[in-house]
Amino acid sequence: MRKGFCVILLGLLVFQSAVFCQTTGHFYNVDTEKKIYGTIQRIIMEPRYKDASPFLIVVIEEKKTKEMYNVEISPVRFFTHDFHKGEELEVTGSQYSTDGQKNIIARQIRYRGEIIMLRDKKGFPAWRGGEMKQRKRRKGKRF
Amino acid sequence: MRRTIALFFVLTVVSLPLTADTFSLAFFQYRTDNVFQNAYPENDQLSSLNFYLDKDFSKISLFAEGNYVYAHQHPNLSYSYLDVGLDYLYPASEKSAFYFALIGQGMFYRPDYEDFNYLSFNFLGAFKAYLSPTSIFKTNYILEYKHYGNSLFNFISHSLDASFDAYFQTRTTIKAELSWGYKYYLNSEASEEVPIEEEHGFRGGRGDIIIYPSTADEDQAIQICAVKGLIAQGIGSRVGFNISGMKQWTLSGENPFSSALEFYMVENPSYDRFSWQGYQIGSELTVLVPWNIELKMSYTKSEKEFPGIESLDLEGNPLGVTRQDTREQFEARLEKNFSRISLFLSYITIDNQSNDPLFDWQGNFLSLGVEWNVFFGVKK
Repeated sequence: MRKGFCVILLGLLVFQSAVFCQTTGHFYNVDTEKKIYGTIQRIIMEPRYKDASPFLIVVIEEKKTKEMYNVEISPVRFFTHDFHKGEELEVTGSQYSTDGQKNIIARQIRYRGEIIMLRDKKGFPAWRGGEMKQRKRRKGKRF
Repeated sequence: MRRTIALFFVLTVVSLPLTADTFSLAFFQYRTDNVFQNAYPENDQLSSLNFYLDKDFSKISLFAEGNYVYAHQHPNLSYSYLDVGLDYLYPASEKSAFYFALIGQGMFYRPDYEDFNYLSFNFLGAFKAYLSPTSIFKTNYILEYKHYGNSLFNFISHSLDASFDAYFQTRTTIKAELSWGYKYYLNSEASEEVPIEEEHGFRGGRGDIIIYPSTADEDQAIQICAVKGLIAQGIGSRVGFNISGMKQWTLSGENPFSSALEFYMVENPSYDRFSWQGYQIGSELTVLVPWNIELKMSYTKSEKEFPGIESLDLEGNPLGVTRQDTREQFEARLEKNFSRISLFLSYITIDNQSNDPLFDWQGNFLSLGVEWNVFFGVKK
């Protein structure tokens, strides 16, 4: 009985390791993490990863350098946050480039006095909570 | 056999977070000096343990949430609930998308409150579109069906809302919203009393507090509509401020119960957004203070009339007027997010004045919480 329990637990741990090792295409690289502050120029929904919902992308012009960045937010944030052209954001995330275009996979956003956590420090997505899930989650009573 | 079931349960619980994209555990401690929110204040402390997990499968994600709340002074108020659901995001274009969600929920109280036990089914359909880079249109439809331990409370409701916002160069956002709701009680022929014992906090001869009307042919549906407006001002990325106003009307029908009761943290089927008409105004300040702590302070004032509910004196004699409440509420919330841990602290004080003396009350509510988040899945 005990031996069987150990085998199953070992199997679960192996599965967990396998899950951790998966990557597809570009991925969050903590070594290229940077912080930018800028103004939103464009907002679009765009496919980014195979077999995943399209991402909310905001195109930001950095205040200091006037450089443009495509910032990957997440799929569900399209419904939970209303970004507009002209609004200011501070984005912390992992930078990568494609065809001369600078991209940032956002980990954390500062916006209108709120911090939106999109990933943990290792870059694992923390996208939980679409429109309905946000409504259902409770952190104390709302009167 | 019992050991096998226990082992299966342990393995299921252990393996769920391992296969989830997100798994979180939260513990909250609440303290109040008026748990029944009426003129006879009673202290209580509530402890809440919550888990949440979700898993993405291609474009569909599954999620589940469970919660157990224990009331220390009034253990009969303790309850647990479980939600399970799935959602789906469908992009209609580069600038618009649909969102659909299905949720099943079960709420389970101790025997004294098992009339409030329910199983519910919810469907949400939403659409959002950018009309221009600075203007957003959103609409939501929600279908809700609730089946209670006491079938008197069973209902189906439909809610529809549409909003439009515009952002200006002054960093100001203006938003307008129109909403409509329809709630239909499924057992219109029933007529009985749901007694709530004195030990639950109701004194002064008003023990039997919820009474269903005896007229079977009366329309057992309530229809409401509301308009809302909001002006928000951003100041850099660290400060946000908004003021809002809402006016709600009962278009048809009225409350089928003789009283509308609120309990702290415990959902009461006699009190919800369908039970009143009136207005609400409010303001909220959000500031990122040093160490990236999120501070929210808000003030809300509301005036609500409860159609169909007559005010009573403390002995239960009718006063000949419809119940009307004026409420002022101040709230402060602090939230600090670390990589995997979030901390919460909130304080709310409420002054509720009513022409029904039972609902003339003040209350203070303090909560402290910690949430631990673990993120798994594919590292994109």
